Amino acid sequence: MAVRNGLAAGLALFACLLPMAAAADSITVANNGGAAGAGYREAYYKPFTAKTGHVVVDDSFNQELAKLRSQVETGNLVWDVVSLTAINEATACEEGLIERIDWARYVDPKDFAAVGGFGQCGLPNNFVSGSLVYDTKRYEGGEAPRTWADFWDVKKFPGKRGLLYRAEQTLEVALMADGVPPAEVMTVLAAPGGVDRAFRKLAELKPHIKWWKSGDESMQNILTGEVVMTFAWNGRVAIANRANKRALKIEFGAGHVSGSQMIAIMKGTRKKDVALDFLKLASAPEPQAAFARTIDYAPANAKAYAFMSEAERATLPADHLHLASLQSGQLYLDFWLNNGDALLQRFITFAAQ
Amino acid sequence: MSMAATSHEMAAAPVPRAASLAAQVGAAERRHLWRMLALLAPSVLFTAFFFVVPLALFMFRSVDNPEVSGYLPQTAAVMQAWSGKGEPDEAAFAALAADLRAIRDTPALGLIGRRLNYALPGFRGLLTKTARRLPAADDGATKAAFLAIDEKWRDPAIWGVLHQQSGRLTSFYLLTALDLEKSPEGEIRRVAPEQRIFIDLYGRTLTVSLGVTALCLLIGYPVAAVMSRAGPRAASWMLMLVLVPFWTSLLVRSTAWVILLQNEGLVNKSLIALGLIDQPLALIFNRAGVFIAMVHVLLPYAILPIYSVMKGISGNHLRAAASLGAPPLRVFRTVYLPLTLPGLAAGGTLVFVLSVGFYVTPALVGGPGDQMIGYFIAYFTNSAVNWGLASALGALLLLVVAAIYLALGKLVGFDRLRVR
Repeated sequence: MAVRNGLAAGLALFACLLPMAAAADSITVANNGGAAGAGYREAYYKPFTAKTGHVVVDDSFNQELAKLRSQVETGNLVWDVVSLTAINEATACEEGLIERIDWARYVDPKDFAAVGGFGQCGLPNNFVSGSLVYDTKRYEGGEAPRTWADFWDVKKFPGKRGLLYRAEQTLEVALMADGVPPAEVMTVLAAPGGVDRAFRKLAELKPHIKWWKSGDESMQNILTGEVVMTFAWNGRVAIANRANKRALKIEFGAGHVSGSQMIAIMKGTRKKDVALDFLKLASAPEPQAAFARTIDYAPANAKAYAFMSEAERATLPADHLHLASLQSGQLYLDFWLNNGDALLQRFITFAAQ
Repeated sequence: MSMAATSHEMAAAPVPRAASLAAQVGAAERRHLWRMLALLAPSVLFTAFFFVVPLALFMFRSVDNPEVSGYLPQTAAVMQAWSGKGEPDEAAFAALAADLRAIRDTPALGLIGRRLNYALPGFRGLLTKTARRLPAADDGATKAAFLAIDEKWRDPAIWGVLHQQSGRLTSFYLLTALDLEKSPEGEIRRVAPEQRIFIDLYGRTLTVSLGVTALCLLIGYPVAAVMSRAGPRAASWMLMLVLVPFWTSLLVRSTAWVILLQNEGLVNKSLIALGLIDQPLALIFNRAGVFIAMVHVLLPYAILPIYSVMKGISGNHLRAAASLGAPPLRVFRTVYLPLTLPGLAAGGTLVFVLSVGFYVTPALVGGPGDQMIGYFIAYFTNSAVNWGLASALGALLLLVVAAIYLALGKLVGFDRLRVR
């Protein structure tokens, strides 16, 4: 034992004397997997390992908060860094599952302001936008839908519409169709009568709605022509266009619902310093641009746009950030944390009728 | 009596040769019993530890209510003593203030907020806001301070929730699972119409499961009959075909169904090309899609038990009936069908129980009117982390299935429900 302690002390001393040659550590990063996982590996893990020598282990995570809670409560941390939606970030932060960090000490708040700014625990990493999508070929030579009011106008544009089978995002879209400017959507929704107004608007279009439950489904419907236009997430549109050589267009000008995927550090991890370094790298402009290129969602860091080509920016809301109903901020988080379950139930009952 | 006499003689006689035979037999039987118990022990212990105990613990969560009494102990004590009528007094506000001050910078505030928000949407926000703005010390005017922070503290619904949820046990989750709630006055009533969801889901789950079971038996029965009469080579090939759905992943299967069944899919295109229909049939993203997909997956569970029972039926019975002059339909009705009934009952029970728990397939190939209860059990377990409600929903489902099983047992006899 004494020998081992001595050895450890010696090693520690050695490490102190040679800070450049810090012992390689490994951290585990949980992200949404799939395309996002591939993006993490290419854009973040590789440069991080090259720069620091620390190995990054990848794990996938489907946003089940139960997984965070069981790790923190039992003290068996499997992850060090975790990628979360804004709502989950707020919940996990409030319940002490991730570390509270003042990010202004490490990165410039200005660069992240347009996507909603920092969370109390997490840092925005990429920006997912949902908006009006149609096939340019269908409306060639004629008028194409430009606004959510057009989306609701089945006389002018006959055919089925695709909408997300979820209260969150869909109620926001309904209010935009009812004439609420994107920036005010959350204020109206949270005010008395706002929810009823959104459901009333949805009821108008209901016979023409084909609900979708996964991003894949939204693209399948529009590519096969089952629906003539749909609400869909921009990354899916970019991938569908590339894979099928199609010309789907996402009309950010109609107003979009957008939110940051946050990245945070697990509460109580012993590798907090390495995790911090990792997050700093993952927020820098160049890796952010590389990540955005692989998953086709916008970078959270505004400076990253400078590293992207015009073509790469086509399915990103770079020029329309002001037309977003943001899935962040106190109003949004309070509203959905307070009413999310009740509204999901109301929505599912509404859709089934 | 004779036992007592024997043991008395035993004690009296120094070398009790004759009497010891009974004792020896008894001892041998006891040894035998112990050996049997020892052999059974692993499976009994295994079932107890990995099934009965966790199940009981999970079911207990549907009535367990540790949050209010744990995180807001002083409030809980005051609320327990309170009548629940009118506005609570200064003491109640002071107790809540003290509790909130104790937890305001800890995760407990988020957890208690989440718990109370289940009962009343908005409670979470109110609690966080109040805790944040609460003055550091009491000045005897806590109630006024609360009302200055938010007028909602006057709302009887808020205090009704605190009053009702202050006990160590709660009926809240079980009531919610039945679309019921307690009014602030404590009466049980139905929830607002737009929030009623679970009763419909239970009904739908049972209808779909019964439909799937009936279809599986109807389709599986002839298949099993043919298989049981085929030669061993042919039978093993057919068995393999029956098992194919097990080998493909759920996602591959559902994508295949979408390709086949969608409006622009293979089935509709061929039917239109053949001139049988003008408009594509709605085959997927509705109830029809759910039936097609679920029957496909569950068919083997119906076929295999029926097949194994049919395999054991001797052809002599059928030949005897025929030789006595019974026409084929009569032979089937009075001899073959009753003999295969245990297989039908076993296959039917298996398919029914499995379909009750389905939720991924209905979500993938069903429409908005085809969601089943399993979807919500999974949602409240994994995403919303509302384990109380998840467990209440599960407990009720278990109850419904058990009731159906008992009714069926009364109807056809329990020995026939066994899977052989």
